[in-house]
Amino acid sequence: MIQFINVSKSYDGDIVLKDVSFTIEKGEFAFLTGPSGVGKTTLLKLIYCAERADTGEIVVGGWDLKKIRQRTIPYLRRSVGVVFQDFRLLMNKSVFDNVALALRIHDMHPQEIKQYVGDVLREVKLKHKENILPEHLSGGEQQRVVIARAMVSKPTVILADEPTGNLDADTSKAIMGLFREINARGATVLIATHNDSLFHGMGRRVFYLKDAHIEKEVVE
Amino acid sequence: MRMVLFAVETALKSLWHEKWINLLTVLSISIGLLIISAFAAITQNLDSVLKRWSRDFGLVVYLKDDLSSEAEDTLKAFFQNDSDIREIRYISKEQAIEDLRLTLGRQKSVLEGFDNNPLPSSFELTLKSELLNAAYVERKASEIKALNGVDDVQYGEKWLSSLSALANIMKVSAAFLGGAVFIAIAFITYSTIKIFFYRRKDEIETLKLLGATASFIRLPFLLEGLIIGVMAGVLSSIGLFSAYELIVSKVSEFLPSINIVMVPLTLKAYFPAPLAGALMSFLGSIVAVGKIKY
Repeated sequence: MIQFINVSKSYDGDIVLKDVSFTIEKGEFAFLTGPSGVGKTTLLKLIYCAERADTGEIVVGGWDLKKIRQRTIPYLRRSVGVVFQDFRLLMNKSVFDNVALALRIHDMHPQEIKQYVGDVLREVKLKHKENILPEHLSGGEQQRVVIARAMVSKPTVILADEPTGNLDADTSKAIMGLFREINARGATVLIATHNDSLFHGMGRRVFYLKDAHIEKEVVE
Repeated sequence: MRMVLFAVETALKSLWHEKWINLLTVLSISIGLLIISAFAAITQNLDSVLKRWSRDFGLVVYLKDDLSSEAEDTLKAFFQNDSDIREIRYISKEQAIEDLRLTLGRQKSVLEGFDNNPLPSSFELTLKSELLNAAYVERKASEIKALNGVDDVQYGEKWLSSLSALANIMKVSAAFLGGAVFIAIAFITYSTIKIFFYRRKDEIETLKLLGATASFIRLPFLLEGLIIGVMAGVLSSIGLFSAYELIVSKVSEFLPSINIVMVPLTLKAYFPAPLAGALMSFLGSIVAVGKIKY
């Protein structure tokens, strides 16, 4: 599903990733960990083409990202739901409109949008706050809106960048529960985090990123 | 289709959200369009005056005093065969003096001092109106003057050349002014849309990351530019209509002669401004949004 073959990336001579290779199978739930600034976000960005690799090959759900054309990138991104570290919510739009945006991009019928968004907001337990602006929500609630937006279009891959970054333990647990549900429905999930308590005891593959390469890959 | 509806909704919301800057843009563009429309209306009026005047415009061909009636007939036949001449009227010496008597009215006694009729017989020639330009008429007059039996040819050469020159100046000025205003309209819309584009930079970035195509992102901005242009055009047409009505109804009260030069504007005259506004604003928006890069 996600395959990296000798991928390298540097910014102005600073090597961020060097000869990184790994494979994540379809329907897998995996973690990417390492200290802050090690290149986790860059690696995720390479998957949804927000950055392009200097060398190496990346294949995501059959898309060869080395050959992908500018105008095809939106279609790749529609199959990859991303939970951004900085949320990227539109503060002038309601919770409903933020989530619906992902479906409007898919040119879905308004009636279907209403139904899909309603369902997904119920799942993340925010249906009662659908008309509220994001600024009136707590950090945990905003994070759930972002997850709802990422999952509403039923993408085959979900990427999450530090999804529990500023959240308390209980909220983090609830968020992780949501990702497990998404994965149980068949989506491939890759979570980048420096918080090892998120994956300890889960029995999932964890990729340790250190000094610009995958240092080890273990099941925890 | 749904994408277009969503784009229209987004554009209208943005127009309302940024109403003051949009209002300023619409007003600026409409003033520009009103200037061009007014210029075009003046040119149209001037053209119409020229055409009306040219219907009666004629060359007066004075004949030599000793010309025989055969020679006069030959000249008449010559004029009849000339396809540039629409109408020929022969005025005999007797008719000419009679006309002068009528014109002089109570002062006709001044003619009593003449033993012989001093006026020559003449032909009044009306040229086809499409040929009425100063250079052509001047050439025609000298051709006729060179004919046997013709003493002199007179026409309103000063009037004709002045009016023709004025009409030409107006047309050239309208073209230059139009060009300048069109560029200004495109630039005004470009600046406004560019500001909106920068203000919504984060939103655009998010849309791109969610998988929005370039058209999905671009369309609301283009529609916004288009709507601004149409609104400005409609406003300028309303301005033109109001100004015209005001001149015709109010100014004519103390300056009745204004009705001679003012031709009523048809509905057709009010369409170019919204069309031009829409087109130039749309072009300005296209340049402002530019290429969406992923």
